[in-house]
Amino acid sequence: MKKKRLIPILLLRNGSLVQSIDFSEYLILGNPVEAVKRLSEWAADEIIYLDISGGEKFDAGRSDLGNAFKRTFREVIVDVADATFMPMTVGGKIRNRTDIAERLSQGADKVSLNTIAFDNFRMVEEAVLEFGSQCIVASIDYKEIDGKLRAMVDGGTRDTGLSPQSWSKRLEEIGVGEILLNCIDRDGKKNGYDIETISEISADLKIPVIALGGVGNWEHFREALEKTDVDAVAAANIFQHTDQSVYHAKKYLFDSGLSVREPMLLSI
Amino acid sequence: MTMEYCKQCVYPFVSVNLHVDAEGVCSACKVAEQFSELTDEFWEEKKKLFERTIETINLNNSSGYDCVVPVSGGKDSYYQVHKMVSDYGLKPLLVTYHGNNYLPEGDYNRDKMREVFDADHLVFGPSVDVIKKLNRICFRKMGDMNWHAHCGIFTYPIIVAVKFQIPLMIWGETAWDISGMYGADDYVEFSARVRHEHGLRGYEWYDMLDDPLDPLEEKDLTWLKYPSDEEIIKSGVKGIYIGNFFKWDPYTHTKLISKKYGWKASEKEFERTYRRVSNLDDRYENGVHDLLKFIKFGYGRASDHASKDIRTGYMSRDEGIEMVRKYDHIVSSDLQHWLNYVDMDEKEFWQIADTFRDKRVWRIEKDEWVKDNIWGEPSSYGPVYSRPEGF
Repeated sequence: MKKKRLIPILLLRNGSLVQSIDFSEYLILGNPVEAVKRLSEWAADEIIYLDISGGEKFDAGRSDLGNAFKRTFREVIVDVADATFMPMTVGGKIRNRTDIAERLSQGADKVSLNTIAFDNFRMVEEAVLEFGSQCIVASIDYKEIDGKLRAMVDGGTRDTGLSPQSWSKRLEEIGVGEILLNCIDRDGKKNGYDIETISEISADLKIPVIALGGVGNWEHFREALEKTDVDAVAAANIFQHTDQSVYHAKKYLFDSGLSVREPMLLSI
Repeated sequence: MTMEYCKQCVYPFVSVNLHVDAEGVCSACKVAEQFSELTDEFWEEKKKLFERTIETINLNNSSGYDCVVPVSGGKDSYYQVHKMVSDYGLKPLLVTYHGNNYLPEGDYNRDKMREVFDADHLVFGPSVDVIKKLNRICFRKMGDMNWHAHCGIFTYPIIVAVKFQIPLMIWGETAWDISGMYGADDYVEFSARVRHEHGLRGYEWYDMLDDPLDPLEEKDLTWLKYPSDEEIIKSGVKGIYIGNFFKWDPYTHTKLISKKYGWKASEKEFERTYRRVSNLDDRYENGVHDLLKFIKFGYGRASDHASKDIRTGYMSRDEGIEMVRKYDHIVSSDLQHWLNYVDMDEKEFWQIADTFRDKRVWRIEKDEWVKDNIWGEPSSYGPVYSRPEGF
């Protein structure tokens, strides 16, 4: 049986690794590369690195640090790729096929597309043909508006008018390889995944679905793996709260008898 | 570039790890607001979580000690141990890193602990020659002579915990309220990451080798080596912050421990801040170490203390600004003490210190360092000794 994946998500905002709450509040955690080394040592199955910066450039302005922060997302990605052997998906601010080619040449294995998929559907179709389904992940941020679920773009601020169900279906039809499904209403809330929607969409699609949004303890991963057909469970903030987080999460799932890879530690 | 400040406290936006929202309020104030809104029921739940957590962590503990408590002898140390011994009846092993910088009141408070708490106490002090070398190396490398202390405090207790197989480490305040790294309801453990990045500025023991002026060998620095993930998982060691489980109010704590255990605040006023209850374990922490923060980023301990006191309601923002104006820039007399200690002349100190000036804060006008102030107008803060790149 195919193993289910456990995926830490890293959020980069203006040069620093952050926690995100509600898509609007950010708590700055620190160096964007160091954290990846650790996730790698704890044997995460893969990582997703998303740039959610306000602007293009950032200067941490510190001359008293041993690991000076880099200025651009590109530089961060090159260093992250150097620091890890884990498969890495990179997303954020990708506007065209040149951007995709660039991310891949910098060391990304896949790219994640969100706003651009809605604004320029043709580009995604072409990207699938050019780079292959296996390296195109479509990310869907959705939330409830007037009792209905809506897929949102531009960092959760612009309503597409589409439901995540129909939007994910369309994306599958044009050949994207995976769907990263993120519930905005649960971002940073620790109240568990939106099991109902995840369950519906993962049952409806043939391509893998990665669940995101709301994990507050390891049991929430288990709940999604037991109650839905997702291929992977992802979370951001919780992996940054304790040491050996990925190891302990995997151990919990493995000991619960779920089909995940055995927990281990790697020396990088 | 003009300096900007949080609208509620007195932190400048350049402050380390601070995020400022659209309304101009910093993440530390936001987190403090979150904390203050927490209800008694929330803390009651947290207390239960604490009790479950220490029970789970201690499940296979056969070391003879219930926990390691890293202590300096300060007000927080006393409160941590008080909580463990008086409230929970646990048998702690107290562990201290002695960086050779104690003030007399700090010595007294530290040595009194094993008496008033009836506890075993391990005090570790590295070779003074090695410490002096680290003072100089780290001052030159990162503008922080106290790196050895940050590293010792963050490393030695976990070395002891792993060695003696004591799984539970009890840390105090959730350090991230200074900057707002984590939320009130995040269950955060002591981590190598916080140690490495925030405690140690991204440097490790091996970065201190091969200095041409102050040579050190690996065997000098054994006490700075963090245990491996394997060792930590095998011994089950976890560090938790009691500030995450119990409401944290330093003023109430200080009253309690002074009354109950005879803990002493500083008899003299500090030159760079108005609080007398902090950092008695290290004469430079409120002095020249903190002066370097001002030299780098244009704010100091008085800004830290005032910001905290504004958030907890002990001070208004206007009073806070007065504290900043009065204290932040002071060149304290412990500078001379330190220069004698490490055998350096003052000119060299300023030449090196100037290399760390932050471009977002400082500019040079008529060979003087000038910056904008929170009260609106710029001031000059002394002559330029060396002109770093970009100025």
